[in-house]
Amino acid sequence: MTSRKDSRPARPSKASKATRRDDPFELWLKRGLHQLFDEVASEPLPEELLRLIEKDRETKG
Amino acid sequence: MANNFHDQVIAILPRLRVQALALTRNRTMAEDLVQDAVCNALAAQDSFIPGTNFSAWMHRILRNRFISDLRKRRETTDIEDIPASVLATTASHEDRLALKDLAMALDRLPQDQREALIMVVLHGMSYEHLAEATGCAVGTAKSRVFRARRQLENWMTGEDPDAPQVKARIARVRGLLAERTAPLGSAAAHP
Repeated sequence: MTSRKDSRPARPSKASKATRRDDPFELWLKRGLHQLFDEVASEPLPEELLRLIEKDRETKG
Repeated sequence: MANNFHDQVIAILPRLRVQALALTRNRTMAEDLVQDAVCNALAAQDSFIPGTNFSAWMHRILRNRFISDLRKRRETTDIEDIPASVLATTASHEDRLALKDLAMALDRLPQDQREALIMVVLHGMSYEHLAEATGCAVGTAKSRVFRARRQLENWMTGEDPDAPQVKARIARVRGLLAERTAPLGSAAAHP
C-alpha cells in the first residue's frame, strides 16, 4: 500500500485513471458511495412530483 | 419533442435526488430542492436545446437553485441523515461503522468537492459533463474530484494529522481495506 501511494501522481491524469480503477481505496470508495446513496436513488418517486410533470406534459402536448 | 423532454425529466429524478442530498446533506431539503429544480426546468424547457446534454442542463438547474436558496437561508447541516440510511442497510457491523466514517468524512468535504466526487465516482459522469453541469472549467472539475478523493483517503487511512476523531477508527478501516483487496480485485471485473 505504501509503494502505491509513493507512486501516486500529484495531479489526476489519463495515465492514473486506469491505475486508480484497481486501487483498493478507489474500489472501496465507489462501493461505499453506492451503499450510501443507492437506497436514496432507488426510493419511489414522489407521486406529487410525477403528477406535476405529467400535468405539464399534457399542457405542452 | 415535448414528451421526450418530460420522459428525460422523470428518468433523471433518482440522480437529481442524489445530487440534492450531496449538496444539502438533508433528506427533507433534498426532496424540496428536487421538486423546485423540476419546477424551474419545466418553466424553462423552451430554453433547452434538443440534442444537447440534458443531464448537464438539469443538474445545472438543480445546482443553481441550491445556490439561490443558500442566499436566502443559512446552510443547514444534518449529518445524521446519511448515517441513518446506512444503518438501514444489510451491511455487516464493521461495514456499517466504516460507512458511517465515510459519511462523516463526506460531510466534512467542501460542498463542491462532495458533489463532484459523487457525480463522477457514483454516477460515472465525465469531467466534461461535470464541468458543464457545475459551470466550471474541465480542469477545475478534475481538480475537485481529485482533491475530494485524496482528502477522503487521507482521513480514512489516518494520514491527516488534523483528523483526531478519525484516527480512532484508522485500524478498523485499514483492516477492512486489507481484507477487501483481494475480493475487490475480483469484484472490479463484475461491478
